[in-house]
Amino acid sequence: MRAGIVWTILRREWIETLRNRLLLSTIVIPPVILTVAPIILGAFIGERSLPPELEAAVLQQRPEWAAFTASELAGAFAVQQFLVFFLLMPAYIPLSIATFSIIGEKQARSLEPVLAAPIRTGELLAGKAVAALVPGLLAGWATYVVFVLLASLVYGPNLFGVVTDPSWLAGVFLLGPAVGLSSVVAGVIVSARVNDPRVAQQIGGVIIVPIVGIVLIQATGTVLVGAAGYTLMAIVVTAIALFGLRIGIRLFDREAILTRWR
Amino acid sequence: MDIEVRRGEVLGLLGPNGAGKTTTVRLLTALIEPSEGTASVDGFDVREQADAVRARVGILTETPGLYDKLEATANLDFFGRLYGLDAAVRAERIERYLRLFGLWDRRHDVAGTFSKGMKQKLAIARALLHDPSVIFLDEPTAALDPEAAFVVRDAIETLRRGGRTIVLATHNLDEADRLCDRIAFVRGGLLRVDSPARLRGALGVRGLTVRLATPAADAETATILALPGVAAAERTGAGLRIATDDPEALAPAVVRALVAAGAEIVEVRVEHTSLEQIYFDVMGVRPGAEVGD
Repeated sequence: MRAGIVWTILRREWIETLRNRLLLSTIVIPPVILTVAPIILGAFIGERSLPPELEAAVLQQRPEWAAFTASELAGAFAVQQFLVFFLLMPAYIPLSIATFSIIGEKQARSLEPVLAAPIRTGELLAGKAVAALVPGLLAGWATYVVFVLLASLVYGPNLFGVVTDPSWLAGVFLLGPAVGLSSVVAGVIVSARVNDPRVAQQIGGVIIVPIVGIVLIQATGTVLVGAAGYTLMAIVVTAIALFGLRIGIRLFDREAILTRWR
Repeated sequence: MDIEVRRGEVLGLLGPNGAGKTTTVRLLTALIEPSEGTASVDGFDVREQADAVRARVGILTETPGLYDKLEATANLDFFGRLYGLDAAVRAERIERYLRLFGLWDRRHDVAGTFSKGMKQKLAIARALLHDPSVIFLDEPTAALDPEAAFVVRDAIETLRRGGRTIVLATHNLDEADRLCDRIAFVRGGLLRVDSPARLRGALGVRGLTVRLATPAADAETATILALPGVAAAERTGAGLRIATDDPEALAPAVVRALVAAGAEIVEVRVEHTSLEQIYFDVMGVRPGAEVGD
C-alpha cells in the first residue's frame, strides 16, 4: 500500500467534506453543544444531591467517590453520563462522512475514473476510511479536552479527577477509536448496498444501539463501567470491526463497483 | 472479438445499447478482468499487467464523473497525483490541457458550475493528463445537447489531429463516420470492421437520382437503361432512380441522353448509402422492427 496514494485520496475527501456544509454541520455542531451542555447542567444541579438509594448504588460502584460532598457526588454522577457522548461522536461522525463519501461517488459516478487509475482498491478504501475516521476521533478528543477543562471549572478540582480517571481515558482513547472503526466499516458495508446517504445512516445507525445500552445501564447507577470494562469492550468492538472490514473490502471490489453499484 | 488497433488510429466501436461496447472499453482499460480470452494494450496484458495497462490508458467514462465541489485545476491535480506525476509536470499539463480545451479562464471555478459540454471537456483533459498511449472515449456525446456535442467532437477532432490512438465507443453514426479511421460493428462480438469508405464501397448501394419537370416516359427510361454502366433504372414519381457503381462518371452521359430525348431536368443527385443503412444491414435489423425480426 502506497502512503502517497492514500494521502491523495484522503486529502481530496477532506477538501470535499470541508465544502459540504450539511456534513460539516453534523461534525461541528454536536461537539460544541456537548461542551456547553455540562456548564448549563452544572448550574442547575450544583447545589443538589442524589436520591439516597442512587447515592448508595453509585458509592458501591465507585468507593473512591466516598470523600466527595453530596454536591460533588451529584456532579460526578452527572458528568459520568457524558462519557457516552464521547463514544457517540466517533460513531456517528465517521458514519456520516463514509456514507456521504461513498454514496456521493456512486451518485456522481466518479469512482470509475479513479478505479481506472493505477491504484489498488485497498488504497482507495484506506484513504476513504481514514478520511472518515480521523475527523470523528479528533472532534471527540478535542471536545473531551474542552469538557475536562469546563468540568473542572464548574464542578471543582475533585471532578477533574473523575473525568480523567482510567475509565474515562480507556473509554475516550480506546473504545472511542474502536467504535469509530466499526462505524466506518458499517458505513462502507451499508453504502455498498443503498443509494441514499440518509438511508445508509439510518441503517448504519444500528451501531449506536449498544452505546445507548451503556447509557441506560450507567444511568441507573447499578453498573458504572470501569477502565477494564471499556478496554475489554474496545477489544471486542475492534475484533468485530476487523471482521466487518473483510466483508467491506469484498463489497468494495473493483468489478462489483462498476457493474453492480447503480 | 479479434481486433487490432493501430498506433495513431481512431477506431469506432459501434453498436446498440447492450452490445458490449462499454464492457470492451472496461476490459481494455483493465477496469474488469476478462472471463476468457486475452487482450493487450501497448504490449501489456490486461489481466497479468493491469497496473501497467492502467498507467498507459486514459478513459472518458459515460458520465464525466468529476468532483463537483472541486475546482477544475483541483480535479485534474487529484488525478495527476494518482498517476504519480510530479508537481511541475502536473502544473504544466493542467495548464496545457485547460488551454487546449478553452477552460483556462474557468480554472478556478468548481466543476459543478460547468455546462455539460465543459464537464465533458474537463473529463477528456483528465484522461489525457498522464499522456496515455491510448484514449478510450465511452459515449462522449451521449446526453449532450447539439451545441455541447459539437464542442466535444471538436475536442476529439483536436486529439485526432494530434495523432492520438483513440477507441471511441458510440452509437452515434454521424460521429463515428466523421471521426473514425475504422468502424467496428459490435453486438455481443465483432460483426465487421472497416473504414467508413470501404464499408460504403462493400455494403452500400450507389446511384443517381434524376428529378424531371414531368414524369419520365418509357422511351427516356429505355434510353438510360441502354447506357453503359447502368445496372438498373426505375421511374419514381417525377423522375428516375439509376443504379450504378460509378455515379459520378455516369452523370454527364445521363444528362446528355435525357436532354437529347427531350426531357427537362430539374436536378441530378449522386446517392450514397448512409452509414445508418449500412449499420442496419450489418446489425441485421430493420428500422421500426424488433431486433432479430
